[in-house]
Amino acid sequence: MALLLRPIVSFLFFFATIAYGSVIEEEEFSEELLLKPLPDRKVLGYFHFESKAPPTNTYGRHHRLFPKAIYQLVQKFRVRELELSFTQGRWNYERWGGFDPISSSNAKPPGVELWAVFDVPEDQVDDSWKNLTHALSGLFCASVNFLESSTTYSSPDRSFRPFSGSLRYGTLPREAVCTENLTPWLKLLPCRDKAGLPALLDRPSIYRGFYHSQWLHLTSTESGSVGVESGIVLEQTLTVVLQPNTQRTSKTYSSDAVIQPSWSVSSIFGRKVSGRCVLAKSSNVYLLLEGGLVSEVKNLQKENEKSGAGSIAIEGFWSNPGFELSVIPDRVIKEVSSLHSKSSSVLYEFLIEKYSDSKPFDLGFTWKLPVVWSCPQAPLHASRFLMGSGNERGAIAISLKSTELSGGILGADIIEDSCRLRVDVFQVVPWYVKVYFHTLQVFVDEQPQTVTDVVEKIRVSPSEDKISPGVMEMVLKLPCDVKTAALTLEFDKGFLHIDEYPPDANQGFDIPSAVISFPDFRAGMHFLEDNSSNNSPMLSKFQERSPVLSYSEVLLVPLTTPDFSMPYNVITITCTVFALYFGSLLNVLRRRVGEEERLLKSKAAKKTGRLPELLSKLSAKLRGRPWEPPQSPSTSSSLISRKLIFKVTLVAGIAAAWQYYSG
Amino acid sequence: MAEQEEISEPPQSPKHTSKISETPIPSEPKPVSDFDPNTMRQTKPGLKRLFLTLTVLFSFLLGFPFLMKSIEIYRSPLPFRDIDSLSNSIESNPLLFPCHFQAVFIGFNQKTSTEFSADKLGFSISDQMRALTTENPPCGSCSGNYTVSVTLDSGNDCVRNQNGGTGCSWRCGAIEAVDFGESLEGVDENLESALGGCGKGKVYSVVVVNRDEEVRAVVGKCRHAWVVGRVSEADAASMVAEIFVKVFVNGGKEEGLIHGEFMPVGADGSIVLSFNLLNADPRNWIYEWDFQRVDDILLAPIIEALEAVANVSVESQVLYHTPKSSFSYWDDKWNGYVFSTKDLPFFVNSNEWHLDTSIAAGGRSKILQVAVYIPSAQECPLLLQLPNGEISVTNGFISPMWGGVIVWNPPGCLSSERERPARHTISPQDLQKIFEVFMGQLRQLFGLKSDNLYIGASGSYNLLASEKGFTEWELDVLSRQHTCFNLLSCATTLGSLSRLVQSLPRMIIMDEIGKQVKFSLEAAKLAQSNASRGIYDASAVSSRQARSLAEDAFFHPSIMSVSYYSFEHCFAVYSPFFLPVLMHVLLAALREWRRYKQEKAKYLAWKAKAKVAS
Repeated sequence: MALLLRPIVSFLFFFATIAYGSVIEEEEFSEELLLKPLPDRKVLGYFHFESKAPPTNTYGRHHRLFPKAIYQLVQKFRVRELELSFTQGRWNYERWGGFDPISSSNAKPPGVELWAVFDVPEDQVDDSWKNLTHALSGLFCASVNFLESSTTYSSPDRSFRPFSGSLRYGTLPREAVCTENLTPWLKLLPCRDKAGLPALLDRPSIYRGFYHSQWLHLTSTESGSVGVESGIVLEQTLTVVLQPNTQRTSKTYSSDAVIQPSWSVSSIFGRKVSGRCVLAKSSNVYLLLEGGLVSEVKNLQKENEKSGAGSIAIEGFWSNPGFELSVIPDRVIKEVSSLHSKSSSVLYEFLIEKYSDSKPFDLGFTWKLPVVWSCPQAPLHASRFLMGSGNERGAIAISLKSTELSGGILGADIIEDSCRLRVDVFQVVPWYVKVYFHTLQVFVDEQPQTVTDVVEKIRVSPSEDKISPGVMEMVLKLPCDVKTAALTLEFDKGFLHIDEYPPDANQGFDIPSAVISFPDFRAGMHFLEDNSSNNSPMLSKFQERSPVLSYSEVLLVPLTTPDFSMPYNVITITCTVFALYFGSLLNVLRRRVGEEERLLKSKAAKKTGRLPELLSKLSAKLRGRPWEPPQSPSTSSSLISRKLIFKVTLVAGIAAAWQYYSG
Repeated sequence: MAEQEEISEPPQSPKHTSKISETPIPSEPKPVSDFDPNTMRQTKPGLKRLFLTLTVLFSFLLGFPFLMKSIEIYRSPLPFRDIDSLSNSIESNPLLFPCHFQAVFIGFNQKTSTEFSADKLGFSISDQMRALTTENPPCGSCSGNYTVSVTLDSGNDCVRNQNGGTGCSWRCGAIEAVDFGESLEGVDENLESALGGCGKGKVYSVVVVNRDEEVRAVVGKCRHAWVVGRVSEADAASMVAEIFVKVFVNGGKEEGLIHGEFMPVGADGSIVLSFNLLNADPRNWIYEWDFQRVDDILLAPIIEALEAVANVSVESQVLYHTPKSSFSYWDDKWNGYVFSTKDLPFFVNSNEWHLDTSIAAGGRSKILQVAVYIPSAQECPLLLQLPNGEISVTNGFISPMWGGVIVWNPPGCLSSERERPARHTISPQDLQKIFEVFMGQLRQLFGLKSDNLYIGASGSYNLLASEKGFTEWELDVLSRQHTCFNLLSCATTLGSLSRLVQSLPRMIIMDEIGKQVKFSLEAAKLAQSNASRGIYDASAVSSRQARSLAEDAFFHPSIMSVSYYSFEHCFAVYSPFFLPVLMHVLLAALREWRRYKQEKAKYLAWKAKAKVAS
């Protein structure tokens, strides 16, 4: 077949080779995994994948690694930046840390969070957003399309990102995240979960964990309004917090500290890494030990040395009195001592390309002695709760509590009273929670303060019923030695139209997480070997100094839910009353009183009731008098009244019985 | 006893008589013994209560239209009759296009009366064409509506037949200047320039040159063919008729290759060609392609050529870890792994091949998948065995309306030395071969022949291939069929819409749907009228529009929603009121009416009696 085109085609090809000379840049893909023991006996797994595509006008629109779907998304909706996260579980800021790059960029609120910046004129941004939500919902098998309604998204102004106008932000706190969202997310990787590090993602073991969050971030300079074109960068991360199995914790120590459970890659994920994804430029696994842990281990080592046990140099850190690694790392990277902790963290690097099917990679981490340490914390720990009771009104309170960090490092560089801690608060409230912004109260160290003293800037866009949610952005300046701070806002609960209630209205309604950021603080790591860590996108991302960010809890507000069958009941009862009224009116109108009376009389004359006749016969017999038929007119009237009374009592009795038994 | 009492009673209560008129109370008790109060009365029965109840009943009945109006749902009026007439007209007489044919005979001796000879040839060609066309001409052909003009060219003067219609004007002897000994392409171009004047009217022409050599028939890239060789007039006429009917009108298709109504064009008139390079196992080898070049150089002319039929857009991706889902086995005879045509339904692995629907494509465009499959080392080389035991030359297959699969075996995949997976790029020569196979598959998907030889009853014809992939006469065939198919689909869609709308009397129909239906009908009419005048392109465009508007109307979101206000709902809401009230009113009216009749009969009876008495 089809041999008829050959001559022409070959001619065209020779022409083509002349036309296209050189390739400018290459598409790149890299995969990395970071493992980190957490203080509360859990292990953090952090997968980081990055795909890069060169700009279209130099490279063209056909790619070999970059996912087609994402490229088309960027092209069609002119997305400049996009971030989408699917999260299940809540990041525990107190135990898992709040000051490192992972917690400030990958700890996300439960459910779906999406924000996007578009490169379109301002009046088209909303349309682009709506189309984008539909495309994403199809792409990720999720109900992202609920973000289409203007009551669910907002356009934050200042505190979020430096793009005003073309940024849209929306969250769906109640979205359930599961494997049907993970599979399309994995489809964006060239090897999917067939080879390389993603092969570790055994669904049962991931979803058994305490927290998992899949995250997708996209930056593009395609549309050309930005000067330099660097193409599209797609970052995908998956953060999981898993609990290692604790079968081997038999040894108890004299102190009350319990030894941490030992773990290995195969024990927490249920699989081993059998080789890298052949398409990845780099494929590495890192083990991160935090500063706190490192200093504890060093202390242990010193004690050991005192007691004369080992003489292992600090360089051979992977086997020490505290713990032991089953695989010798290829490289040890040390962090340049950061501001807030005494000791710097250590990063072990393992190159996956050395491992294969026959020799799979299975890092084991065995604790030898109980070690207790804590993670670096954000300057203030934020939590949010509801106050008040009843279905009518309530109040939202955001409370900020200082952690040991702010006391430590802020105390160091205080220039007396001028020291101020900046806190940005961003809060979206759905329209049916009607917040009164004038009721904003600020408490610092449990003392009420005037709002203008503490709130430096505030931007409020009040909600419009059924049109837009309320947005509040605040810049707070708190004194550095603050112990606690609290903000309260009162609100009224609105009424929804009967159509607007979700199927499970009695569960309550979610208020999305508030975003609390500390722009004065930057979470970032500095590594000693700067030149060699350049090739790892994950490490270079860690070195970017991103602002410390934390999300508050999602609040559940119970609203008054109507009896959903009420409208129909009302209709039915009203109609019945009307019908009764009409019927009786009509009957009264056409009643012939005189004729009826005469008819009754004639009837009474014809025959009296059977029972009174019998009764009178009986009484006559008892009295011993001869029975005589009673006079009809008098008995008939008394009979009517008796009958009436009997009927009324019967009906009342039935009603009472009904009430008694059915109630 | 009691009756007597009653009769004697009335005087005791005189106020009753004044109050209630129709009580059968004799105003003056006559001592007439034959007055029976059960069957007679002396006064006229009153009309008050009857009037009252009837008024209430009628006011209720009058209120009904207002109620119906208030609970009415909006239904935009749809032109049901026009829809029916369109589908009837399309079904009863398939769309036929007018076509013009001309035959030019060169080098035949003209001893007999040339006038007569041209006429005779014309009749003979027409007769044979009639014989070749089937009884029920397929939709989109030219049967019954064509003109044949015959010209005998003897160099200095041309003789044309009389009823040939509008033969186009070209210089006599111009064709004779064409050197038929040249290469086929050269001849084609020369003929095109010689007959170029006829191009506008879309005249299909065949040039028959009588010379002393082997007979060979060639169909060119434009709308002409030529037959050169030793032919008698009768043979030439039958060949010409066959070229006209089988090639130019029917597109040289064999019957039953692909059913004629399959047209891989989406409802919005667009096709997305999605090219996928599937590396079954990248651990063995990784192949890439320079698709940008293919897109720019090879696909661009094809997209341009198909413009009349569809908007074609192209996208590509490279996928990895995509094994096929059927099995293959080693065959020593072919020195490779063989899979047979029986395995083809299981070849496409929909679990691992993520040949996604495209985000860039609109909702109803058609996606044609082209999968280039690179087998892994465990199954390389992979060969397709045809049912006759031979190995397929193209190593590919198509699935109608879905796309095609091409298996490409990397060079040297049998050699054992293999260490690291290396990145290769498919060489331009190989890519060109793949592309040729793809072109053949695309032509087959459109229902055309993929090889360049047509064997008819009276000889075999060489078909010249165009660099655009489709020759002009093939494009004519496609656009004729496309128009026809679009109109058919438009008519069936509108027909089912009208059936749906009529079957659900309480479904809301937006104005927009009404408008879309109206415009769709207009476009369909325009397409029909354009087709009857032979304007192919315009009719293709408006037929496409008609179809897409009809689909838009049918898939309008407001129709899709289930929440239409059903009659049951309406009944449930209003029955608690209307059922009891109406029962009361009706019963009251009925009773009053009966009573009135009864009383009137009594009165009449009394009157009659009184008359008799007096």
